[in-house]
Amino acid sequence: MAALKTSSSRWLASSPVRRPIVLRTLTTTSSHRVDAEAGTPSAAAESQSVPPSGAKAPLDPRVLDPNIVTLPSMERKLRRAGIALPGSRRRRAVLKSAPHVPLEKMPYQCFQEARKVLLADREEKLEQIEAQRGKILRLLEQDPSVSGGELAKKTRLHSMRRYLEKLKVQADVNDPAVKKRFEDGEGDMNKPVYRFLADRKWHEYPRKIVMQRITQMNVVPDVLPHIDPIYEVNVAFGRRRIPPGDIVDSRISASPATLSIQPFDAGERLATIAVVDPDVPNVETDNFGSRCHYLATNVPLSPATGKVSLGRLSAETQVVLPWMPPFSQKGLQYQRLAVVVFEQRDGAPTDLERMRLSSPRDGLTMRQLMARFLLKPVGINMFRTVWDEGTEGVMRKAEIEGWDIEFQRKKIEPLPKKRRNLAKYR
Amino acid sequence: MLLPRTYMLALRATVSNSPISNVLEALRSAPSQTLQNLARVRYAHHQSEGRANGVKDGPGKRLGAKKTAGQYVIPGHIIFRQRGTKWFPGENCDMGRDHTIFAARAGYVQFYRDPLKHPKRQYIGVTFDRDDKLPYPPNAPRRRRLGMVATDSPSGPPAESIAASAAAEADMSGGNALVAAAAAQAHNSRGRDLMATGTVAREVPRRLGRKGGRSVSYLDRGEDGMPLAPNARTRGMYREANWEIGRAAEREGIKVKKWVPGDRWSAWRQRAKRRERAQQMSAMRSGGKKKGKGKKGRGKK
Repeated sequence: MAALKTSSSRWLASSPVRRPIVLRTLTTTSSHRVDAEAGTPSAAAESQSVPPSGAKAPLDPRVLDPNIVTLPSMERKLRRAGIALPGSRRRRAVLKSAPHVPLEKMPYQCFQEARKVLLADREEKLEQIEAQRGKILRLLEQDPSVSGGELAKKTRLHSMRRYLEKLKVQADVNDPAVKKRFEDGEGDMNKPVYRFLADRKWHEYPRKIVMQRITQMNVVPDVLPHIDPIYEVNVAFGRRRIPPGDIVDSRISASPATLSIQPFDAGERLATIAVVDPDVPNVETDNFGSRCHYLATNVPLSPATGKVSLGRLSAETQVVLPWMPPFSQKGLQYQRLAVVVFEQRDGAPTDLERMRLSSPRDGLTMRQLMARFLLKPVGINMFRTVWDEGTEGVMRKAEIEGWDIEFQRKKIEPLPKKRRNLAKYR
Repeated sequence: MLLPRTYMLALRATVSNSPISNVLEALRSAPSQTLQNLARVRYAHHQSEGRANGVKDGPGKRLGAKKTAGQYVIPGHIIFRQRGTKWFPGENCDMGRDHTIFAARAGYVQFYRDPLKHPKRQYIGVTFDRDDKLPYPPNAPRRRRLGMVATDSPSGPPAESIAASAAAEADMSGGNALVAAAAAQAHNSRGRDLMATGTVAREVPRRLGRKGGRSVSYLDRGEDGMPLAPNARTRGMYREANWEIGRAAEREGIKVKKWVPGDRWSAWRQRAKRRERAQQMSAMRSGGKKKGKGKKGRGKK
């Protein structure tokens, strides 16, 4: 209050015209206003003071901070000096007025009180985690006959471990810092809480979209009899991410796709990746066949793997069938391309030679593959391709036959006219 | 709603019949009369005239099954005519505007239920094989037919020959390579693609550059009347936009004389012209043959 008085008195001394306001400054509400008003000119002078004697003089970075400059004239000066301005003017104005206070030290009483509650809860959860770990250790040492048989012990251990994972998530899930880090995309996927948050976010919308596309476009049941995806799979060509089911230009899909595969459970595991087209026309049988455009096995995946570039997997140890550009011949409808990620049984590596021998490109179906190599589908996505301007070039370059074929509708012969039984009408 | 009306009736009755001449008295006695009237029952009378009691039994609409189970149908064959959806379209069937079920593929008709799809609906389906049983198991791949034939020759001449001929034309017309390239491109988009290497698409940009100091837009036409640059709306296809078609007359410089409503002179001239044209046309149609009947009398119009 003393500081306030001095500032207001100084101000009054400098401007005797506004004397009537003095009476009102005594109330608390208007005193804030006066303080703010008194504060701004000095702050503005600090941040926006310009070196005298024109713009020719070298700019002092301490004086003109590009992060907080908002005046157009000052911006111009910085630009002329070759300094890039980050973000918009509005953003810079916000940054200027918002000091960088760490989340834990936010000066809001309610927030701090809530943090105390959360911290207490976290302590409690940590104790529970310790207790649960102890219980698990004790059960591990216990004789199976005491705990009701081998199977019962195994089941119990499993459920206890699941509860432990749940506790680990619960300890951190309400932490504002964790939430912020997750929303900024800086979450460490090796930690249970970030995996939990990512899984929840995926279930909220992107997974629903994928499920809608694969059911509406009949990838299930044409490619797979059933799938309950537990990995998030996204398809990209180069840096362009493809929405599920999108029609991709044949020139873009000529080079191998990049998948981002996100498992939401801990640990390393081996996976098999396949890209399959179930709409291959077969004129002889008047039916559709299947073609595998890409097949790779023993691909190591973990929650922190991130992107898997299909063109960069090892040709000797992983790739069974290298990338074949997706194409749709002229006159045909769109071709669906299903991208399926399979989990290998018990994480055991597949016999690559056996897979190479038993997996021809033409006619390979995912049902066969799953049955032969005990694979379980865990992630799926799809895109489509149609005959476009680039398809012929792509097919010729990849030396695929059939670029000069056009499909036309088969004429269906009308049934012979029924002859009337004239005798009936006599 | 009946109350005010009966009230009025009662009022009128009291005024006319009773000896009370004072209106106020009549009003005072009215409520009791109203209650009496309410207690009476009004029977519905029978309206014997008018079309409401006409014939209710119109002509039959020939609804029902047009094909039996197991019968062979081809696309478009009507299988069931109905009012409302007694039957729903199932496998390889479709439903028309009036709920008629018709075949979408050639095959054998089946009438069935599919409790997984809907517990109460009955469906009509068409199977490719006579022995198939509908509904198909839900996790089995769909049974489909290609229904197409592969033809060897895609429409349009080979791309190389077009490019070569266009280049030759360009040489003859004084090295207008741009027009030639555009013409070749136009042919490609209609017929086959030029892209043997897959890089040509990038070499022929959307805006074809500058020609004699001005840029070429999709308004400019080549010698064959086709636009030089693709139209953005039609995704690279060489088709005139509707507004361009609408401005064709303007482009050709055709002027239409303004019509003045009261101008009988020009009206007479136009009519005369029209008659003359009609006579010419009819003469052409008859191919010089003389048909006597009704020909002579048709001159007036």
